[in-house]
Amino acid sequence: MPMIERKQVVPGDVIARGDYRWGDYVEKRGDEYIALRIGLAEVGGDGIRLNPMTGSYIPRAEDQVIGKVVDINGFGWVVDINSCFEGFLPASFVFGREFSPATHDLSSKFAVGDIIGARIESFERSRDPQLSIRGRGYGKIPKGEIVKISPTKVPRLIGRHGAMINMLSERTGCDIQVGQNGVVVVIGPPESTPTALRAIKVIDDEAHSADLGRKVEELLGGTQTGA
Amino acid sequence: MAMRKNYVVETIRKAQLVELLAKGRRLDGRGLDEHRPIRVQTGVIQKANGSAMVSLGNTQILAGVKVATGTPFPDTPDQGLLVVNAEILPMSSPYAEPGPPSEEAIELARVVDRGVRESKMVDLTKLCLVKAKTVYTVFVDVNVMNVDGNLFDATSYAVVTALRTATMKKYVVKDDKVEATEETVPVPVERFPVSVTLARVGESLIVDPDAEEESAMDMRITITTDEDGNVCASQKGEASGILPQQVLQAADTSLRVGSQIREELMKATS
Repeated sequence: MPMIERKQVVPGDVIARGDYRWGDYVEKRGDEYIALRIGLAEVGGDGIRLNPMTGSYIPRAEDQVIGKVVDINGFGWVVDINSCFEGFLPASFVFGREFSPATHDLSSKFAVGDIIGARIESFERSRDPQLSIRGRGYGKIPKGEIVKISPTKVPRLIGRHGAMINMLSERTGCDIQVGQNGVVVVIGPPESTPTALRAIKVIDDEAHSADLGRKVEELLGGTQTGA
Repeated sequence: MAMRKNYVVETIRKAQLVELLAKGRRLDGRGLDEHRPIRVQTGVIQKANGSAMVSLGNTQILAGVKVATGTPFPDTPDQGLLVVNAEILPMSSPYAEPGPPSEEAIELARVVDRGVRESKMVDLTKLCLVKAKTVYTVFVDVNVMNVDGNLFDATSYAVVTALRTATMKKYVVKDDKVEATEETVPVPVERFPVSVTLARVGESLIVDPDAEEESAMDMRITITTDEDGNVCASQKGEASGILPQQVLQAADTSLRVGSQIREELMKATS
């Protein structure tokens, strides 16, 4: 595996020179790659990535999010997706093509205050993101503890190929659903749920530290496996 | 994109809250009749006659008192003027907007004003200088700095502590004309009203609801009591009704919790 170089950057810093692929929050000028946010830059085999330290959630098509229904109108549900944009879930995506505002009762499916897992169907900045619940695992989340973490820390909570989140749910026996928008729902036995919540908090607070995995292991060390 | 007017509590969060309340506990670990920590700082505005910054948990209120002279109302020619006004600052919450005072801000000012007025906290007859002509006017202006539920009580504590520590210029009457002197005297505060707000969530009555509990409540009642155990003022809000025995229970709780809070406020202003 190629060596990954990590460094803290502020806007304007040159992250690297040369020929790389680059992601969000990075700009290429000449052969220099400039950071646009405060965060942790990674230069490695698969190019340059910048994980910002803070920031709100900007929707992207195909993202899985967890949102809260805040309003219902004749054509669908307005969903708070922890962003500066409000998601909209059209009723026709739920009831199918035969949907009619006269015959279908939207609140019987999702009421105001309900938590739903959804996928961003489409988004461009001039219009609110459209949501869909088509697919496995989407729809109403009937119970659980809700926590919000910074959306920029979501990759750390999930870990490489899901390593962190799998470890968390194995060790605590909790089912942990993570939305790309930073909303996390923890469903599990009452004894181990607080531990899982604490671990998520630690990850949120110390996502930038290199020995995060060890810290979380330490926190989980004392608990029995619930599963 | 239209801004939501109020915070929407998650259904599953509300279910947890109701379940916990049935066991006599709350989401933040408080007991049902336990209020959040109160912090009082008086004299925070130099140019005001009296002022107080009060926090109740994360709710933060700034109150200022200005005393001047003016003409009395025609129906009370021998009494001074006392007016409480409240404003909810746009920065205080994501749901507050700039512009003319909202319904909530008007209700807030009226409920707090009523508590101070009906308890006879300030002896208005002592504020009369020349009958039907010149009286002291006491204006209490309230700014809500941060909203985390129960604005009524936090504002009431800020107004009461600001008034208790307020001083005013002494005026003398010469040939039916009033003249300012260099001397300052305290505002004639006689009573000590304390307001206690209870919210009903599920079947439980809880003291000092925070923002989350307020979004889950179906009824609230604010009761102001004085140091002799008199109920001076009350206000009920939200759509749901209240049973007679719940009113009595709320009054008892207000008296009991109110006397604890009175001691705390007394310490902070002595």
